[in-house]
Amino acid sequence: MMSPRDGEYGRGYVMYTPDGRLLQVEYASEAVKYGSPVVAIRGNDFAVMVARTKETDPLLDSVEKIHMIDENIGAAGAGFTGDIHLLIDQARVETQRHRLVFEDPMDVKSVVNHLGKFMYEFTRYGGVRPLGAALIMVGSDLVGKHLYTLDPRGLILSGKAMAIGRNSEDATEVLRAEYKPDLTIKGAIELAMKALSKAEESNSPVEVGIAYGTTFKKMSLEEANKFADDPR
Amino acid sequence: MTTIVALKCADGVVLASDRRATKGGMIGSKGVKKIYPIDARKAVAIAGQLSDANYLINLVKAEAKLIEFDRGFPLTVKEVAKMLSNMLYSGMRSYAPYITEMLVAGVDETGSQVFEADISGAVTEEDYTSSGSGSPMAYGVLEATYRAGLSTNEGAEIAARAVKSAMERDPGSGNGVQVLKITKNGSELKDIRGVPQ
Repeated sequence: MMSPRDGEYGRGYVMYTPDGRLLQVEYASEAVKYGSPVVAIRGNDFAVMVARTKETDPLLDSVEKIHMIDENIGAAGAGFTGDIHLLIDQARVETQRHRLVFEDPMDVKSVVNHLGKFMYEFTRYGGVRPLGAALIMVGSDLVGKHLYTLDPRGLILSGKAMAIGRNSEDATEVLRAEYKPDLTIKGAIELAMKALSKAEESNSPVEVGIAYGTTFKKMSLEEANKFADDPR
Repeated sequence: MTTIVALKCADGVVLASDRRATKGGMIGSKGVKKIYPIDARKAVAIAGQLSDANYLINLVKAEAKLIEFDRGFPLTVKEVAKMLSNMLYSGMRSYAPYITEMLVAGVDETGSQVFEADISGAVTEEDYTSSGSGSPMAYGVLEATYRAGLSTNEGAEIAARAVKSAMERDPGSGNGVQVLKITKNGSELKDIRGVPQ
């Protein structure tokens, strides 16, 4: 991973190597690959995300993976929990600030843009550490349903089906092979679960986030399947 | 001084104004513009201190454009009205109020919308509304003739008639009428100079 020459550029300040790389940022992206995976799919009039709650000690309560940002937006992260929570908190504050000014919920793209700028700034300054977290954001607004991912570089991607975290390449492979533009909510949850299982074998409870109508709702897999039968 | 009106119609909105600016008891200008487009489907009609209104509109136009670039779709009519009202409210709260009242009308994803924002920053949503010294006369016409489901063409007639009526009895209003029709397909400005019959 690290050549002997990289040494002095790899620590402390975010600094270019002679071949134009930012190692601190690359290391942050590596950290994301240890996070438990999240898979999300956008359909015509909905967007869903699935993730498993973290496997912890049986004595402990499970840790939530999907977070509500506002009534219309939800997000799930992979990477350092503290860094993810910093981003979630930023997004929550920004959406409430928008409500204070406009008395309406914030659109998804503006939230993602805000977080993208926030993350990007950590790649530009010395003395700070780029956030070791990636985020999948799903939501509903005036112009439609949205699915975005964000990475430690501050890169924003919008798409139909995406995955982040451990073995996300495997999950993406499943999505690439089986995604269809006319998926129903039920079909999307099924495909997302298949992709998630490809990335991670686990029996931990599944969390599902669904953007439908004007809201984003968080629920268990059973509730999500019931919701898919009769969305409202 | 001034008479401005704004109407919500089935297929869009209509704004209308007179053209007179007064300086005390004197007519300061006979061809002043009181309806300002914010973007292709939104406009603001103004009453009160012209300089204050122009300042706020320039600010909101710039801010609206920046937000549209950032998020990829334009502000809603309500968002424009709220943005103006936030500035009006902060002016009032800092003892330096913007002496103006504004009618914000347009078409967005939620349909035709009309809002009124006053000097205190209060915003109300309306089907039809009027402001300025001629508004009592304009309201007479609006109360008698406005109904829900008007087309913008019918609305334009009623709006022009309301402003003309005010011009007959209000010395602060006169010198012509401007009517702006906005539908989801765009806008059309009609200009009646002089004293219309």
